[in-house]
Amino acid sequence: MSSPERAPAVRCDGLTRRYGERVALDAVSLTVAPGERLLLTGGNGAGKTTLLRVLATVLRPHAGEVAIDGHVLPRDARKVRPAIGYVGHEPLVYPALTARENLELYAALYGVGRERIEQVLELAGLNGRGADPAGELSRGLRQRLGLARAMLHSPSLLLLDEPTTGLDEDGRERLRGVLAAHRGAAVIATHEPDWFAGLEHGRLRLAAGKAA
Amino acid sequence: MNGSHRARPDRATAAATAAALLMALALAMIFFYVPTDVSEGYSQRIFYFHVPIALTTYFLFTWGAVNGARFLLKRDMSLDLKSYVPMHLGVIFGSLTLVTGSIWANIAWGTWWFWGDTQLTTFLIIFLFNCAYFMLRFSIEPGERRATFSAVYAVLGVGLIPLSVIGVHVAQTNDLIHPITFNENGANMDGSMFLTFLVALAAMITLSVTMYLIELRGKRIDDRLRAIRRLAGGEA
Amino acid sequence: MRAYRALLRKDLLLELRGRELVPAMVVFVVGALVLVRLGLGGERLAGGTRAATGLLWVVVVFTSMLALVRSFAQEREHGIWDGLLSAPADRSAIWAARASATFLFLGVTQAVALPLFWLFFLQDGRSPSLAVLAAALALADLGVAMLGALLAGLVSNVRAREVLLPVLFLPFALPLVSVAVRMTVDSIPPQNGGLGALHGLGFLALYDTIFALLGWALFEYVVED
Repeated sequence: MSSPERAPAVRCDGLTRRYGERVALDAVSLTVAPGERLLLTGGNGAGKTTLLRVLATVLRPHAGEVAIDGHVLPRDARKVRPAIGYVGHEPLVYPALTARENLELYAALYGVGRERIEQVLELAGLNGRGADPAGELSRGLRQRLGLARAMLHSPSLLLLDEPTTGLDEDGRERLRGVLAAHRGAAVIATHEPDWFAGLEHGRLRLAAGKAA
Repeated sequence: MNGSHRARPDRATAAATAAALLMALALAMIFFYVPTDVSEGYSQRIFYFHVPIALTTYFLFTWGAVNGARFLLKRDMSLDLKSYVPMHLGVIFGSLTLVTGSIWANIAWGTWWFWGDTQLTTFLIIFLFNCAYFMLRFSIEPGERRATFSAVYAVLGVGLIPLSVIGVHVAQTNDLIHPITFNENGANMDGSMFLTFLVALAAMITLSVTMYLIELRGKRIDDRLRAIRRLAGGEA
Repeated sequence: MRAYRALLRKDLLLELRGRELVPAMVVFVVGALVLVRLGLGGERLAGGTRAATGLLWVVVVFTSMLALVRSFAQEREHGIWDGLLSAPADRSAIWAARASATFLFLGVTQAVALPLFWLFFLQDGRSPSLAVLAAALALADLGVAMLGALLAGLVSNVRAREVLLPVLFLPFALPLVSVAVRMTVDSIPPQNGGLGALHGLGFLALYDTIFALLGWALFEYVVED
């Protein structure tokens, strides 16, 4: 447990989220200290993606409290967004735009300088493919592009949804490198928790929206 | 749920009583007090139904929009209900407006020119908007998303009302400088007519408030029933 | 502002590369004008240029529905909303960019439609004033684009969106079309009074202002899940 003065990177208290009348997250509580990496495990439909999307400020909580770096959501969502890097199931890129054009768009959305684009392309091992349309990249390369997109603004909190899916050996090594170098906190949903050995600080299993 | 259970039936009863009294008074005035219109004859009296019903419909849509806006700000689901019910009543009063309006348009062609064709067209636009609101509501499953989208559309409707009134008037006459104002109408009516009109308007609004309170109560009971069923189903 | 420009650039680039929307709109508008012309039959159009002008506006509204229904299709199909919504940029910038792009697409389509309109329907050498028609179209396009972008965002996540969007939009199109038709028809010579162009444009400007404000304010609520 880190020093009590600093707010936890992520704190959920009884977080509940519904889709229509179905409960996707049922009073989930968790805490992630600054610099810690939490793995989310559980079967399909357990609520991992929903939880990440709530933390990414894409979904609002229906009940309970969520705070990132001490900022309560959804009230302070705007303050929190510059600090979050979210990689979803999909790489969140436009297939018809080139890798570089996609990153230019997000650089503008995050208020980040264009030199950073080349840096993240390098980081993801995509330097030669910057001018290729994202739709023409293989699944693994597109996944790397998604990760590059999330790192553009040097976020302090990483939210990754099944980041290892589709990655080849080289891609996995890069992911490991990024995670190891990342000094902030991370919440990672995964079906392969054992791959993160040495990187994880804790696990939380979700089942039917409840923390098991 | 909350402590005002006992207060609510009283409010509905009070409103119903007031509505009944006002309606009785209005009917008496419409049929026995107000003088017969010189140019249109006895059947002109439908004006005292049509216009108050129309104004009540606008009032209901505005109320629905206001509660919709309040829902967006506060995210309180009871406000969703309080926005939906006026819109629903708007369908009822709206239909009545169109019916009485077309009856009246048949009888009275000429004298009351600014209450003629343009008003029906404007109203038709608003009525279509109301139907679209319901189509939207029925395409989404119950929950916060449906409440949010309904509220947004209701608020848009409030923008539509002045635009239709002005737009249709502009398109069908030559005048943008003199929009339909109530002063002009009021000046054309003598004292007894104006008084009757006001009483009829008060009666219609009170009636709509009564129906609102009753429907609101009914829907709340429905919701509670559904919640109980869900709980019971979960434990089975 | 930087976000708005980047989003607009994205929308325009996607259209340029994909060529989905504008060609479809142009084909539709041409087909619709041909259909109307043939359907009304004969050498002389009953009602003349006046009726034709009214019909032009009807065709314009339906063409814009085509553009609007496909709004945000890419974001939806590839799950990109999450990327846009988790970014710190103002969500209304997304609305503003989409409205601007739609406005441009409508303009391009109408630039093709107007000459055809003249060709098919010009009768007795009389036609509505081009200046009035162009100004009315510009302001109407703006209103349609702004309200349309808001409603497109709303139906983006709803089941029957192709059917729902026109239904939701149509009540708002009615006052717009009433005034626009009246205004352009009254500009057909000989002009004998009728609705002055300035009055009509004034109304259209009011319409645009109201839906600019409402679109800006409400888009945030429409994209939240």
